[in-house]
Amino acid sequence: MFTTDRVAGGALVLFSLLVIWESRALPLGTWRQPGPAYAPVLLAALLLLFGLCLSVPGRRAPLFSSVGWREWRHVSAILAACIFAVFALERLGYRLTVLLLLVFLLKIVERRGLLPTLAFAATLAYGSFFLFHTILRVPLPQGLLGF
Amino acid sequence: MIRMPECGYFRRHVCFAAVAALLVGVAAGGFAQEKYPNRPITIVAPFPPGGVADLTARPVAAAMEKVLKNPVVVVNKTGAAGAVGMSFVANSKPDGYTLLMALSSISIIPEADKLFDRQPAYTMNQLMPIALISADPTIFVVNAERPWKSVKEFVEDAKKRRGEISYSSSGVYGTLHMAMEMFSHAAGISLKHVPYAGAGPALTAILGGHVDTLASGPAVVIPHIKAGKLRPLAGWGAKRVASLPDVPTFKELGYDIEFYIWAGLFAPRGTPAPVMKVIRGAVRQAVNTSEFKSAMDKLATPIAYLDAPEFQKFWDKDAKMLADAIKRVGKVEVKEVK
Amino acid sequence: MTETLHNLYLGFSVALSPHILLYAFVGCIVGTLVGVLPGVGPLAGISLLLPATFGLNATSAIVLLAGIYYGAMYGGSTTSILMRIPGEAASVMTCIEGYAMTRNGRGGPALAIAAVGSYVAGTASVVALMLLAPPLASFALRFGPPEYFSLLLLGLLSLAYLSGGSMLKSLAMAALGLLLGMVGIDPMSGFFRFNYGWVELGDGLGVVPVAVGLFGLSEILLTAGQQVAPEVIKPKLGELLPSREEWRSSIWPIGRGTVLGFLIGIIPGSAHIISSFVSYAMERRLAKHPDRFGHGAIEGVAGPESANNSATSGAFVPMLALGVPSGPIPAVMIAAMMVHGISPGPLLISQQPELFWGFIASMYVGNVVLLILNLPLVGLFINVLRVPYPLLYPAILMFCVLGVYAVNGSVVDIGIMTAMGALGYVLRKFDFETAPIVLGLVLAPMLEMSFRQALSMSSGSYDIFINRPIAGVMLIVAFTLLLMGILSSGMKKIDWRRRLGLAESQP
Repeated sequence: MFTTDRVAGGALVLFSLLVIWESRALPLGTWRQPGPAYAPVLLAALLLLFGLCLSVPGRRAPLFSSVGWREWRHVSAILAACIFAVFALERLGYRLTVLLLLVFLLKIVERRGLLPTLAFAATLAYGSFFLFHTILRVPLPQGLLGF
Repeated sequence: MIRMPECGYFRRHVCFAAVAALLVGVAAGGFAQEKYPNRPITIVAPFPPGGVADLTARPVAAAMEKVLKNPVVVVNKTGAAGAVGMSFVANSKPDGYTLLMALSSISIIPEADKLFDRQPAYTMNQLMPIALISADPTIFVVNAERPWKSVKEFVEDAKKRRGEISYSSSGVYGTLHMAMEMFSHAAGISLKHVPYAGAGPALTAILGGHVDTLASGPAVVIPHIKAGKLRPLAGWGAKRVASLPDVPTFKELGYDIEFYIWAGLFAPRGTPAPVMKVIRGAVRQAVNTSEFKSAMDKLATPIAYLDAPEFQKFWDKDAKMLADAIKRVGKVEVKEVK
Repeated sequence: MTETLHNLYLGFSVALSPHILLYAFVGCIVGTLVGVLPGVGPLAGISLLLPATFGLNATSAIVLLAGIYYGAMYGGSTTSILMRIPGEAASVMTCIEGYAMTRNGRGGPALAIAAVGSYVAGTASVVALMLLAPPLASFALRFGPPEYFSLLLLGLLSLAYLSGGSMLKSLAMAALGLLLGMVGIDPMSGFFRFNYGWVELGDGLGVVPVAVGLFGLSEILLTAGQQVAPEVIKPKLGELLPSREEWRSSIWPIGRGTVLGFLIGIIPGSAHIISSFVSYAMERRLAKHPDRFGHGAIEGVAGPESANNSATSGAFVPMLALGVPSGPIPAVMIAAMMVHGISPGPLLISQQPELFWGFIASMYVGNVVLLILNLPLVGLFINVLRVPYPLLYPAILMFCVLGVYAVNGSVVDIGIMTAMGALGYVLRKFDFETAPIVLGLVLAPMLEMSFRQALSMSSGSYDIFINRPIAGVMLIVAFTLLLMGILSSGMKKIDWRRRLGLAESQP
């Protein structure tokens, strides 16, 4: 019953309904003078149509339960690391954030030894900072601690 | 509490003196650190590199650096027609190390926010003016293939064909839009507005003949005027543009409007007065250096320096004019195509 | 003709002078470094280094910036091919076939063909630029909002031919991408759309975070947790160059890509990403074995890469011939010229011949320099892949974060990248193609704006699309393509059902 197509189609339908709901604050305009809500509503309606076309005959797709999520541990770790970067990058500075990120991924997720991890992470963090910030003058945050 | 066991009388006094000296040293050092500036100063340009704000900020930064003997860097923080950079500086610490090089659109964005009942990205009260650097009068140009040779001809034609003659702009509520708005209001005509995403595309549009007229800063259109592709009819300045001596101003023609695309330096409100004094002095010296003058010459932008008090007056007047124009325009969607 | 040759001689004498050559070289190296960084493309590279050029004289500055531009385009294809991370938005198509080739152990040949294709396209388009700049530029100016709309619609409909899987799914993804492109300030009315109070979203979601997230991050998410190391066949030394068959299959795609890219590039304001998408779609349509696409077809690398590079040169046509910025990168170049007191305009070519011809000649030189730089580097880059994946992917992740942050200096972008990475991961699990999202995202603002501008120009009348010849022709072609696409896939469906019916009826 629950195939991938059905689930995906259903998600698309829900999303397009959400968009239409959110667009109600914007003026729609007229046929001759389209307003800011015109295009989003039109596209959301199209997406709704596509979503329905996907889910209704969705019987032939593989079952939803057959989709393997085996990598979920790694996925959550990587996504958590990225979210950490979002909050830490400008507060802790580039080098410190990247160091922590790499150590986290290499030590905790990939279970490498502490010393090689630290060496690798420090080289990458400081090396990339040097190359891109100092030499190429790409603006990279230095954070409250000056890192 | 530090216990000082076994400290003999002599030792105790030496220790005490040493600690006292240390404390005094730290305090003195601390005060020494209070002297402004002792860190690199950042000038935020809220537009992408290559735009007017950026191109004006860089010579200013370079000249200030020489005067202050302290690094001054330009950082681009782009987005939302400048709102991102402007609100960044408005909300940053008022310690004199984060400054803003803004264009006249600084007065537009809070008004537009008010119009749309939005939480304003920043308010003009959050910023204090330091100095005005440049003020380019806008020029009114028409595509050379169109028949109008003077503003008078143009206005007559526009009155006959309401809402048919078109103009491009850098965006809704942008500076070029507002300039044209003021003119059409003063002349009692109604024009068709075709907004584009930026001054570059707006220029391309008139060159390609897709719109009839444009209000623009002089530097970018002068080459095209010389090549015969565009014809200037009038200028929004109080005086005629130096490189276009034959072009009358709107004031001369009887329309009481003035509009400049200006660039000025701002600081967050609350920056301490001594710091402001140093910055203002540095800017005053910087704009008088020969390197700065030649840099601005190359950009074909005249220097129009005004120190803080005069700049505040200028800004207030300009802001009120723009606010009136925005209120008049209202929300674009609600109006009919005139 | 002799005048052109004379001017070219003048140009080369400028370009081949030692210090100009040095600047070109430095620019190419810096550009390659910047381009290899995910997401940081030519625009970011040029913008970052623009201040460094203020102290140089005009020709050196322009040559340096052009070198950075080219270098970044070359560097961008490297990460796309080797790690499926788009080096810049326009390399998204290269990711698809290029990475598949890397998985098959053909990463070296992919890089080589990309370099050679870029070189051929770059050189040929510079020749076209040189000979045809003024007349082409005038033609390009005649593109107004109705023409843009038709062109972009045509580009979007080329998606109908992109679908390896279901056309419906690709169209749905395109619609999703278009919707994502609606975030931000509506330029026609000033309303903020879907930004929920975040000023940083005022300009929309940003192609770079979305592309890097959808392609690069999702790839990392998919492969990082695999128990078995991913099937990257380590290439042997002899396999670094393309085989004769690969060379032969690439000739026509390179040619077609060059012409297509150049034509799309000269139109002011058109996104270069369109050129690579349309080239990919064209190659897929014209290939003898279309099912190879998606699994490492060299045509899918040769075509888009060439299209990309010649679009680059094409973009300079309006800039040099008319002084009109045809996009953000030429705008920065124009700014660089203005800082040196040169105002670009129609008279630039006649008033500043050393600049113009020096620039053209430096583009030839830059192309050669990059070819020489990149071909030997292919071996070096391939060796990066020998690093065990569990060590490699954190480093790649770091580069993604670096690159995405560097574009705008905003952590909001990293957040977007993360969200898009998660979305891309889920979508690929569900067997959806992610490329149409990027195309939709890029095209949406232009598509909508041209449509509403055109209606503004005509005061609400829809005739403007048909009355103007260029627009009308393109619209007719677009709808014909759409019909053909629907019909042919519809017929395929009928066939399939019949076959399935047959299969079901058998025990």
